[in-house]
Amino acid sequence: MGLIREPMDIDFVVDPRPLSKEDQLKISEFIKADKKRRKGLLRKKKQLRTTIPG
Amino acid sequence: MKAKDHHIEIEIDKLTRSIENVITSDSFPTEITILENSDLELISKKHGWRFDWKAEFRLPDRDVYKLTIRDNLSVIQGLISITEKADHVYIHLIESAPFNIGKQKVYLGVPGNLFAFACKLSFHRGDEGYVSFASKSNLIEHYSKTLGAKLFGNQLMIIDTIAASRLINKYFND
Repeated sequence: MGLIREPMDIDFVVDPRPLSKEDQLKISEFIKADKKRRKGLLRKKKQLRTTIPG
Repeated sequence: MKAKDHHIEIEIDKLTRSIENVITSDSFPTEITILENSDLELISKKHGWRFDWKAEFRLPDRDVYKLTIRDNLSVIQGLISITEKADHVYIHLIESAPFNIGKQKVYLGVPGNLFAFACKLSFHRGDEGYVSFASKSNLIEHYSKTLGAKLFGNQLMIIDTIAASRLINKYFND
């Protein structure tokens, strides 16, 4: 099991900021596109596996 | 758990991983549990906390979780406030305890632990690990390097499925 050790002189803090509707929409679009991209990659990998003679 | 509009549907009451003592490098198993009313007294600005966690706790769309060492549940090591959006988990706030801040910090790994927890929650909800948060501009590079988060614009960062899986493997690989 690993651990992310933040540097001693740096403190990871997330500042409060409400997510605007516009940002929310952009994130949703990003997620949709990313899922599609990953599924496409998986499909390609599967196709490669089936076309390469074993 | 508190009754809230955007409530966590699955029960994750306890998750175990660890943080590391800076001086001894000893590792201590930790737990993440929902913040209780009785904890509020200890997490005030008077006790050195930077954010108003009492206010955060009372917001209806937020869930606040605390990180503690398994054998010392009364001392809060860090806090995270999240909202479950339709397709991902949004982190409003993360803060390490005052004694885990700065060059004299006692334990390492508190924020990473909390980020990994948010990713785990996202997977449990069926959101494939996606987590977003607003970063301070000076921390964007660090978040990118250590968490694998991607800058989305307007200082918004996203942890995608692959980065989330890596984070979870670091902390929950047991």
